[in-house]
Amino acid sequence: MRPFIAQISRDLDIAWQNRQDVVVMLGFFIIIIALFPLAIGPKSAMLQSLGIPMIWIAALLSSLNGFDRLFAQDVRDGWLDQISLSALGLGWYAVAKAVSHWLTASLPLLLITPILALMLNIATTKLPALMTALLVGTMALTLLGIIGAALAEGARRSSALIAILVLPLAVPVLIFGALAAATDDGIISPHLMLLGAMLALLLAMAPLVAATALKIGETESGI
Amino acid sequence: MFDYLANPSRFIRLSNRLFMPICIITVICLAYGLYLGLFSSPADYQQGDTVRIIYIHVPAAWLALFGYVGLGLCGLFYIVWRHPLADIAARAIAPVGAVFAFLTLITGALWGKPMWGAWWVWDARLTSMLILFFFYLGVIALANGFDRPERGSRPAALLAMVGVINVPIVKFSVDWWNTLHQPASLLRSGGPAIDSSMLTPLILMLIGAHGYFIIVVILRMRALLAERRLAAMRLRSGA
Amino acid sequence: MTPDRNTQPSAPASGTAVPCLEIDALTVLRGQRLVIDRLTHRQNRGELCILTGANGAGKSTLLRSIAERLPAESGHIKCHLPRVYIGHADGLAGAISGRKNLQSWAAVNDIMVTGADIEQALAGFDAARFADMPVQLLSRGQRRRLALARLLLAPAPSLWLLDEPNTGLDQDNQTRLETAIAAHLLAGGAVMAATHIEMARSAATIHLAIGL
Repeated sequence: MRPFIAQISRDLDIAWQNRQDVVVMLGFFIIIIALFPLAIGPKSAMLQSLGIPMIWIAALLSSLNGFDRLFAQDVRDGWLDQISLSALGLGWYAVAKAVSHWLTASLPLLLITPILALMLNIATTKLPALMTALLVGTMALTLLGIIGAALAEGARRSSALIAILVLPLAVPVLIFGALAAATDDGIISPHLMLLGAMLALLLAMAPLVAATALKIGETESGI
Repeated sequence: MFDYLANPSRFIRLSNRLFMPICIITVICLAYGLYLGLFSSPADYQQGDTVRIIYIHVPAAWLALFGYVGLGLCGLFYIVWRHPLADIAARAIAPVGAVFAFLTLITGALWGKPMWGAWWVWDARLTSMLILFFFYLGVIALANGFDRPERGSRPAALLAMVGVINVPIVKFSVDWWNTLHQPASLLRSGGPAIDSSMLTPLILMLIGAHGYFIIVVILRMRALLAERRLAAMRLRSGA
Repeated sequence: MTPDRNTQPSAPASGTAVPCLEIDALTVLRGQRLVIDRLTHRQNRGELCILTGANGAGKSTLLRSIAERLPAESGHIKCHLPRVYIGHADGLAGAISGRKNLQSWAAVNDIMVTGADIEQALAGFDAARFADMPVQLLSRGQRRRLALARLLLAPAPSLWLLDEPNTGLDQDNQTRLETAIAAHLLAGGAVMAATHIEMARSAATIHLAIGL
């Protein structure tokens, strides 16, 4: 457990040193949300029905940010070489990466979502369901991002590649996430349960895939 | 069997022996199937002549799915046993499968316009097929996305394995969800739901399309093997 | 392909030989290229193995294989000691301080260290002066010293895998490194290093020629 916590706190330390990145990412999220009403027109009935899907799309797109650097930085630094010999191991390392990435990228996004929901005239009674669905959904998206980032590590144009890999995988999360958020039958809807099942599946799968993909540590330097 | 086939020269010898028979069967099936399908089979009482699209659409869809299963299997063999030939096979299959997936979507759209009044509807079958197409693109992009070509093999194999989840979703989407796309006609409990005048050309086209798929994959594998050997020779003479 | 690539280790200077690294018929490919061909090597505790060979001969490849960063095509590597790898990259995050880097390295390896241990490790390479600055502000040699300080944090008998450990080091710190290696070997550790300088010959030294 100690190595796991240590990896997370190391990443949080690094993220804290680069804390202005969070502002950029939040700005991206807000701007996407703000662009929709400008394109659709300010009719509030329309915005009300489209508000939740808009928030989901924006969350999906902005959560893609930063995945191209997630492992690349550690590979370049040589930290991954240290990890593969460590008590932590690559699988748990991937989980730790997911946790710290969620805390630094998705949590701020969740925190400002209520304000954006108000701007989009989403009824406050719908907020609990929306927030719960986003909470589970962003966790699942983060794990998908981990898979994509590990697979595309070392590739040319890795950020575009990650988008191509992750977005098709993210379709079920998007579908059931939006359904769970828009539901009227309480917070715990069947859609949310399905979303939770996907999260559980990804939690089992992502460390495996990521560890297998990261196992070969190719660097340009040296034979 | 896979160990046996994993040897490239044995693979080439076996594929040489099978190549001509497969070609002949394929040409016969495609020619006769097309003749039956386009000229001699009756038009559907509801769908009219548009029904003839299924002689392309259904084989293409099958091969898109089978191709992906093959891709996933190659990925498994490559990751677990690290057979280089599995990587070659995957690289050979991926673009062919992608073309079939694309063909499925295109012929589906051509059929959908007169039948449903729309080129595209967002139902489960169509969407999952589109995602399958994206998976193909992802695997191809990943396999070729690295500066050293063979560096992409491992991630692409992993992605191919992950994407196999989507195959049953495509196949059973018409049963699990209430889709606009019609349910399965061939592989369903209770036997095929098509009249024999249409079933015969469809089956011929299916056989022919599979033969075509195998031929193209074998040709691509040979080319890729030759390419590898050439690169290895260059490396040896260069070093 | 060339026959004379295996070197049998000489017996250690004193005491009974305790094997710590056994490599059997190791073959490693880099892409299509055969880099290490059926290498066999035995190393005991207390021994220093210097890898020799031209650039591109496969010294880094061998070290990375032992450090589990490159899968072997065939053959086995058995290692009976904890490994510490210092590669071309220092393994330090630029945004945080050297001290924090060392602490997190110890923690992910589940090594219990106190503040005093860290101080001692830093002092071993005279790195305390810049240990609280973000690593990205440091020079190449200073980063190297922080990376090398990890060696002094590792649990006592261990196998050090050093890839060009003295790049960027000044004369004083090269001496410090040699002292550290000598002490480590005396304490029952082992070292495998790809380096061009001549180490002090106090301990049993093996030369392993790498290259096809």
